[in-house]
Amino acid sequence: MRFRVSENESVKKAFQDAYSTKERGETGEEWQSQVMRRVRQIGPLSPAASFWPAFESMVWRLAPVSCALVLVLTFFFMNLELDVDSDYLGTVAAEMEKPSLVELFDLEG
Amino acid sequence: MLSIVKKHVPEAAIEETAQEAFVRAYQSLPTFKGTGDFSQWLSSIAVRTGYDYWRKAYRSREIPISALTDKHSQWLEEVISQRPEEALDEREHQMEAREILNWALGKLSAGDRIVLEQVYLEGLSVQETAELLGWSKANVKVRSFRARMKLDKLLRRVKDQGRRGR
Repeated sequence: MRFRVSENESVKKAFQDAYSTKERGETGEEWQSQVMRRVRQIGPLSPAASFWPAFESMVWRLAPVSCALVLVLTFFFMNLELDVDSDYLGTVAAEMEKPSLVELFDLEG
Repeated sequence: MLSIVKKHVPEAAIEETAQEAFVRAYQSLPTFKGTGDFSQWLSSIAVRTGYDYWRKAYRSREIPISALTDKHSQWLEEVISQRPEEALDEREHQMEAREILNWALGKLSAGDRIVLEQVYLEGLSVQETAELLGWSKANVKVRSFRARMKLDKLLRRVKDQGRRGR
């Protein structure tokens, strides 16, 4: 198997030490105030968008439209004259007028 | 968070990148579910901001690649022939290690670089790296292996350069 330089323990340790002690630059107060300025510019955060809050807000937005629709339909049906003499109702009424078998043969006690 | 950014980006870019990381963390606060470790969540943002810095730098080709000299290849040969317990710990040797490392990392892609930093230099596990970067474990494994191979090839070049120079 070919010797791998990067796998040599001494090389690896030297690189790891160099990496962990890398860049020791300090950040001052100016940097902190810059960060805070940027955060203030962003302003207050809005909550994360998820399904249920979005769904709820949509439902509330549609609520007035739904109420108006219910009122209009109620008014419409209340003013609709129902035709009692329609075929179906007529048949039922006629059937009710016919004497039953019991009445015809006088079977009742 | 600042210490993570310091490790990942060059000194000149620390302040700007750290600022970016803090702003990102602030903006992402609503997405933090509160179930996991907060410091882990912050570290993840810092590492990813460092990764984005390198992606941008590679795209605009702003990577300063320092040239290596025979001194570096000599150092590498010396270290290879050493036992780990007698590793050189003086500052000047660390300087050479850092210069070689910066040169080699500068030759890698942003993805290879970040995965190598996490797995090889920080000593994190594949699982930890995958969580930090938001990658799959398989992706981290493959990239880590390829990045190691590339690093090895680069180090071999440094070593051979010294032999040719003599």
